[in-house]
Amino acid sequence: MFTKMTMSEVFAPLKEPLIMGTAIGILVGVIAVVAGLTYFKLWGWLYTNYVKTVDHKKIGVMYIFVALLMLFKGGVEALLMRAQTAVPDNKLLNSEHYNEIFSTHGVLMIIFVAMPFLFGLFNVVIPLQIGARDVAFPRLNALSFWLFAMGAVLINVSFIIGGSPNAGWTSYFPLAGIEFNPGVNNNYYAWSLQISGLGTLMTGINFVTTIVKMRAPGMTWMKVPMFTWSSFIANIIIVFAFPVLTVALVMMTMDRQFGTKFFATEDGGMDMLWANIFWVWGHPEVYIVILPAFGVFSEVISTFARKNLFGYGSMVASMIIISLLSFLVWAHHFYTMGQNVAVNGVFSITTMLIAVPTGVKIFNWLLTMRHGRITFTTPMLYALGFIPIFTIGGVTGVMLAMASADYQYHNTLFLVAHFHYVLIPGTVFGVLAGYHFWWSKIFGFQLKDSIGKVGFWLIAIGFNVTFFPMFILGLDGYARRMYTYSAETGYGTLNMISFIGALVLALGFLALCYNIYYSVRHREELKVTGDPWDGRSLEWATHSPVPEYNFAVIPKISRLDEFWFAKKEGRDLQAGEIKDIHMPNDSAAPFWQSVVMGLASFFFVFNEIGIAIILGIVTLLFMAYRSFEIDNGRHIHVEEIEETERKLKETERQLRGDR
Amino acid sequence: MSKHNNSVPLEYQGEENDLKIFGFWVFLGAEIVLFATLFTAYFTLVDRTGSGPTGVDLFELPPVILETFLLLTSSFTIGLGVHAMRLGRVKPMIVFYIITLILGAGFIAVEVDEFITYIYHEDATIQTSAFTSSLMTLLGTHGAHVSFGLLWGIAIIIQVAKHGINKRTANKAFIFSLYWHFLDVVWIFLFSFIYLKGMM
Amino acid sequence: MAQLFPKEHVLGFIGSIILTIAALSVVQFDVSLTAGLVILWVTALAQASLQLVLFMHIGETDDKGSIYVITLYSVVIGLVTVFGSLFAMIWGY
Repeated sequence: MFTKMTMSEVFAPLKEPLIMGTAIGILVGVIAVVAGLTYFKLWGWLYTNYVKTVDHKKIGVMYIFVALLMLFKGGVEALLMRAQTAVPDNKLLNSEHYNEIFSTHGVLMIIFVAMPFLFGLFNVVIPLQIGARDVAFPRLNALSFWLFAMGAVLINVSFIIGGSPNAGWTSYFPLAGIEFNPGVNNNYYAWSLQISGLGTLMTGINFVTTIVKMRAPGMTWMKVPMFTWSSFIANIIIVFAFPVLTVALVMMTMDRQFGTKFFATEDGGMDMLWANIFWVWGHPEVYIVILPAFGVFSEVISTFARKNLFGYGSMVASMIIISLLSFLVWAHHFYTMGQNVAVNGVFSITTMLIAVPTGVKIFNWLLTMRHGRITFTTPMLYALGFIPIFTIGGVTGVMLAMASADYQYHNTLFLVAHFHYVLIPGTVFGVLAGYHFWWSKIFGFQLKDSIGKVGFWLIAIGFNVTFFPMFILGLDGYARRMYTYSAETGYGTLNMISFIGALVLALGFLALCYNIYYSVRHREELKVTGDPWDGRSLEWATHSPVPEYNFAVIPKISRLDEFWFAKKEGRDLQAGEIKDIHMPNDSAAPFWQSVVMGLASFFFVFNEIGIAIILGIVTLLFMAYRSFEIDNGRHIHVEEIEETERKLKETERQLRGDR
Repeated sequence: MSKHNNSVPLEYQGEENDLKIFGFWVFLGAEIVLFATLFTAYFTLVDRTGSGPTGVDLFELPPVILETFLLLTSSFTIGLGVHAMRLGRVKPMIVFYIITLILGAGFIAVEVDEFITYIYHEDATIQTSAFTSSLMTLLGTHGAHVSFGLLWGIAIIIQVAKHGINKRTANKAFIFSLYWHFLDVVWIFLFSFIYLKGMM
Repeated sequence: MAQLFPKEHVLGFIGSIILTIAALSVVQFDVSLTAGLVILWVTALAQASLQLVLFMHIGETDDKGSIYVITLYSVVIGLVTVFGSLFAMIWGY
């Protein structure tokens, strides 16, 4: 049952020159980082300020940092795929390597880029928007982050040690089963998603509790800012969708490693069950990554159109409807699996219904901008680019929703083009808009707007050049996940155009990175006050960078966009008596517990069950330690707060004087 | 927004306690979906027995009734434990919690015996067929929850014995009781829709 | 001593025993599949609500509205998962 690999099998991926090269590159990079940290004596600083932190702002920054790293890796994989298919009969990658690359590209981009980028924004913004001092469970928040990070480590280790997942990001059985896939590749898939998924579930519980219980006094549900609303809905979906993934992955592990027959091809097993349960989680997952991005666009559009959001109530209603419908459409991912017309009919209808609340939101954004005085900043450009591009994605989605027509589109590049047209303008533009929009809240200076705009245009143009040809290729019958094709098919030209687009997208990513470098170097000139965009919601009411306690005095809320009206009326929202502030203690336990769980998963991947169980017991000991630990937190005293506030206000006065 | 309302029971007092209880309800919502997914697999695969035994071959009423009785009673005793805690009476509380755990351990013992019967007398292992895989995974997940509850319960009892009933221990003990009652609710569904329906 | 055994807990316990015996009727007597399933659903849901209300004290706090909504929502999603999957893979296949 437990087949173990020999060492040469474990390191087999390194025989591929491309992987060997990357591995050496990573090694050099790691050595450089370690040497740098040692040389500048930063280990202690890193450990106390980041590894042990339970501060939601720092955790948010770490999430976004990991997301950008993973975006780099996922992007390189995308480039390799486009390069491989750019010309017919290309020999750049072999078929196995191509399989691994498109599988990890999908997993990375959804689970390790889109999710952490959004979690980063949740962490940074939500407590500030609702006027809270931290999230409900700061310790759990740290554990969530580190578990997620260990999942990311695991999937990245896979391509050097043992081999990456190679059955697509959906890992359908029987292909992903032990019979056709005897290596450890898909064990990695199961375990890395499992531990990062646990982290995600905890994040969901944490933010649902935070938003329900910790809103500032007076902030009733219909006065909650739109980003918090949309994230709340997303977190609700997380809480109810991720247990499904947990179970699916447990069953996958049991089938692959313990010989059960859930998805087997014999003894009554049913491979369709995997596809079914995967998409029961997978479809809501799409809404988890898109709804918060909708929230970002709502904030950005109303801020830069200088108007309140049009149709606030209908925005909320449509998101609640989307959250319910998102659980009722999953079978549209496998219309061609053989179920009867009644099933396909029902799921066709529910799928098309989702277009209605989404359409409502599109019109609300358009009407918010109507008669507005629009300023074209980088975040606003992303929001403006989002609307038309996303609409193309949405309309092709309705095409795909029709079950009978789907028999033509199924598993072609048309589908690939469709979901990139939804996820890139939706999620990626959304998180990038949010990233430019809220950057100064954390660092106290802004990203250079002109470079940001260059980045936007490269990404927007590159994206369309890459993915629009795929619609045509798909309608022409080009199946997804093909590693090569012959010249006679005539697919060459459009694939080449697509590759060129991918190169432009890569330039866009470089512009993003250069912007960080440029802005850090010119941070003195780019320094701003706590409210650089003339914002509307509470996060702009405090200073930038935000002090660790967030608000010296928790504001009282009487209406939506309270901060905007307070500015108009010349009120100070933080007026009032400053009191001692209770804060949670930092702790290294979440980090070490995650390391242990990450190692346990790693040994599970290689069927080293004994070591994995010992590490599992250590995890239980960590939980026992947490149960017995008496941690009453600490207090920041009034004098210290007053001193911090005085300094921050002094800086802000100077900045206002400068401008 | 911390409410220092002394009219609510001790376990809710203070902002952190209130948050923890609410957060645990959210977690229980996630657990409901987790078990629903396991049920999905079970109901889908229930008739796919391959060459292995069917439910009618495997299930026997007496151990199931015993398990149900043990778990229902333990749910009652932990309810009494929380009641005693709210009266501020440490000793009866600890006694009720200990009885609960003993009943829980009894449940696990019967369940282990049931699994041994399946494996050694009916030749039905978790690898036999899709039906046995889904059955044993579903029962096993519930059993693992109960076993984890035993460890957790011991940690709670030690802390209450050591520190008495205060905001912190009362909160922990109450959350544990929610967990325990929830496992009883899950068992009701296993009892009704696996065993009884399987024997109909 | 009596103080330690409040009436609602004792009645709840007796109720849960009665409901268990009622559920057992589906195997003791010769009932049709439909009737049996109805009995099982009724007794199981009654048991679950009994536990939630009497023992878990759902609804004793100010945030009971949120707790009801979250619990109900998870039950709905759970039922959709079970019956939707059966619809797609068993009944409609």
